[in-house]
Amino acid sequence: MISHEIELKLQACLDGELSSDETRAIEELLARDAGARSLFEELRATRTLLAGGELEVKLPETGEFYWSKIRRQIELEDRRSPSINAPEPVSAWWVRFVTPAGALAALALFVVVALKHSEPPEPILALDDSHEIETPLEETSSFSFRSEAAAMTVVWVDSHRE
Amino acid sequence: MSRKLDYPSAEDQALVKAAQKGDMQAYEELVARHRDKIYARAFSMMRNEEEAIDLSQEAWVKAWQRLKQFQGEASFVTWMTRIVINLCLDQLRKQKRLRAESIEQMDEELGGVERQMPIITPNPTERLERNELRQRIDKALGQLSYEHRTVLILHEFEDLEYKEIARRMACSIGTVMSRLFYARRKMAVLLAGLKREELR
Repeated sequence: MISHEIELKLQACLDGELSSDETRAIEELLARDAGARSLFEELRATRTLLAGGELEVKLPETGEFYWSKIRRQIELEDRRSPSINAPEPVSAWWVRFVTPAGALAALALFVVVALKHSEPPEPILALDDSHEIETPLEETSSFSFRSEAAAMTVVWVDSHRE
Repeated sequence: MSRKLDYPSAEDQALVKAAQKGDMQAYEELVARHRDKIYARAFSMMRNEEEAIDLSQEAWVKAWQRLKQFQGEASFVTWMTRIVINLCLDQLRKQKRLRAESIEQMDEELGGVERQMPIITPNPTERLERNELRQRIDKALGQLSYEHRTVLILHEFEDLEYKEIARRMACSIGTVMSRLFYARRKMAVLLAGLKREELR
């Protein structure tokens, strides 16, 4: 009786899983051992019988029903976490374009506003004889502005905190 | 503007490309073409209609989500088959049908009853209707353990090498060889037995 190891080697030889040296050794065994030859033939016949012998099974429900469940599941999964294959909506194009453009526009607006605020405030009214500017307390860095024509007084106070 | 795809006559490759861009109708056509094959593989492994339907549908959903990863190294249907096989193997593991230390495995390692069986040579030249032969094979497959059947399916029907089967089933090549050996020997006996049964 041949060993289990040899049985498995006979099978591996049949399946083309042996090296050329091992294959040669098995071929020599087959030439001199009738038992090995019989087993090899059984394995080969079974393999031949199985080749192309798989039953053709049909789906036991309608294709429409089968697909509808797949589709529903795909849509459900996409809602949970958009899959990498989820179709990209047309709006995504817009978002991809508009987002950076919008960000740039916002940045530009911010820069303009910041620059404007860093400049000294422009006088609302042109100064003439009807206006006077007082800085009564220099140390407090406050000064007032009065316009008779506009009947308005504005006082700026700067604490000079350093 | 690109030309509209004629789904029924388009090749798989074109349908896959369209589906990769989110064309659900192209994907539906792929499902319609290959649903029987994918279901059949799930059924052959699970031997249960309901489980086979659920797992094959899960495979289609997973494939849609991973479609952009498909580069076309193998055919689309081969890729799909691999997905459904993996899902079935996961399911079988969950069901603990692939127990690492099953009595059956111990039996294999020690040399099971099949070692004592007389050598049987099924006659492939016997005149059988192809469908009849397939019915017999299917009936015999149904009598194998999950481990033996899975190895046999992956090797004989999916043409996977020992190494690849071992990787997928998370076992050693030696275990694959052993399972395949006993699966084949059992099939030889079962096919011969079925023949005798039918002759009575």
